[in-house]
Amino acid sequence: MSIGTLIAHLWRRHRGALLLLVAGNAVFHWAITRVVPAASESGLVHDLLAMLPAPVRVLIGEDLVANLSARGFLAFGWVHPFPLLLLGVWAVRVSAGSLAAEVGRGTMDLIASRPVARSAQVAAAALAVVAGLTLIASAGWGGTALGLQTRVLEGVRARDLLPVAGMALLLFTSAGSVALFVSAVCREGGTAVSWGAGLLAGSYVLDYLARVWSAIAFLRPLSLFRYYEPQRILREGIASQDVAVLACVGAMGLVLAFAAFARRDL
Amino acid sequence: MPPAEAALAADGLTKRYGAVRALEELSLRVEQGEVFGFLGPNGAGKTTTIRLLLGLLAPSGGRATVLGQPVTLGGAAWRSAVGYLPGEVAFWPQLSGERTLDFLARLSRREPADRPRLLDRLGLDAATLRRPVRTYSDGMRQKLGIVQALQCSPRLAFLDEPTKGLDPLVQQAFYEIVADARRRGTTVFVSSHVLTEVQRLCDRVAMLRAGRLVFAGDVADLRRSERRRVTASFSADVDAHAFAHFGELVASAPREIVLLVPQEELPALVARLGMLPLADLVVEAPSLEEAFLERYR
Repeated sequence: MSIGTLIAHLWRRHRGALLLLVAGNAVFHWAITRVVPAASESGLVHDLLAMLPAPVRVLIGEDLVANLSARGFLAFGWVHPFPLLLLGVWAVRVSAGSLAAEVGRGTMDLIASRPVARSAQVAAAALAVVAGLTLIASAGWGGTALGLQTRVLEGVRARDLLPVAGMALLLFTSAGSVALFVSAVCREGGTAVSWGAGLLAGSYVLDYLARVWSAIAFLRPLSLFRYYEPQRILREGIASQDVAVLACVGAMGLVLAFAAFARRDL
Repeated sequence: MPPAEAALAADGLTKRYGAVRALEELSLRVEQGEVFGFLGPNGAGKTTTIRLLLGLLAPSGGRATVLGQPVTLGGAAWRSAVGYLPGEVAFWPQLSGERTLDFLARLSRREPADRPRLLDRLGLDAATLRRPVRTYSDGMRQKLGIVQALQCSPRLAFLDEPTKGLDPLVQQAFYEIVADARRRGTTVFVSSHVLTEVQRLCDRVAMLRAGRLVFAGDVADLRRSERRRVTASFSADVDAHAFAHFGELVASAPREIVLLVPQEELPALVARLGMLPLADLVVEAPSLEEAFLERYR
């Protein structure tokens, strides 16, 4: 009962932001379907991409540059920083806002002095993070599906992108549970946001640097983004090892969040 | 007959933050239906005590029970029978007052049966409650805080500095609310700096100083235990120093002395004064404020 009440409370507080993030992701992925080069233009676009510096080619995906296709272009939409930012904003915002920000603001006193188990507070936050991420990721896929309804691209079906959207959801669920653990130990929302966003951005940067700089390539497995490669998913399907790693990180973050929040002073 | 279950009891309750001792070995018992005052200067440990009793903080030592249940971190069921007004009450700025009260009542798992009466007494109308809390003045926030703490008819209410920011008329209304709660058997634990308020509201008080309990008892006992202020005027010059052994000589003039005298010394002092050309004698019981200051000197 408390969990439902707490989730409704989180919805009231974050619904405006969630609607913006959902709309932003849907419009972005719809727009990607508009700018996919037609088969007649792909030679020119391929030449242009090939002229880019190597680090930029890595950023947008070597596979895309080597084998420019509509599918590859749509997959690029799922590694573009904009949708990653939208998903990341939700994961960090709700995680930090539901625990650390309540403690910092003083409103946690009003909740925690009532018969609400601390585990219920963490569970409500985790469910809100996952529900919001599901909506945002689904909206992104919906944008693609809608775009493909009005622009037919040869050999591309919207459902091919579903595993990519699913892995994006899993990636940010893992990141969200790490952010929830950070929030469970911080005393201020701002600190939790800084750490959560910093860890997420650091993970992204580490993955990128490890791909362009061979000297630190061995560090790449430490980044969550190592386990999320949309172009590879389209080509080979979801790797069970990637799912396992992201699921383990997510589960560990959640367990640590429960344990830390249950024992801390508020 | 076994003693009735205490509304709250603390036994050696201690809270340390590293080397800082926020609360040291507090033992306290508050009976059901009492209005209990908790006094102390800033940093004495009043808020820490309340937060320990609510299970918001983990004690470094000792234990406590509230409504007969051991206090633990987390969501014990006894909390549904407890109301709490924090010292620095904060709300969600974008929520309306009404939504805030509804949300908190749902979390309490009790009907907010007393809400209409409290709103009426404190002068919070429906139009105000529909506005977001961010538009409220400090006083209105404090009123909302009082309502959320008491709306579900708690058996025990912790009120930390409850009249902060309230104007005198609303303070009066608050005193009536507490009197009403007492009549209905609610135990009220009030932390305050306002001594007249405690004197007016409370049956018993506890005083904290630097995390240690320095007094716990009836308000009347507290005043009784303090030294009396004795002012004696004479029709002829007297030697003031002849009275120094009765207590503390506060002021002296050839024909007037002012002493602070322990109650048990009064008969001997009066007998001694009677042997002198006494013109007037005033013996004053200390106000709670004087008793308070005396404890913290």
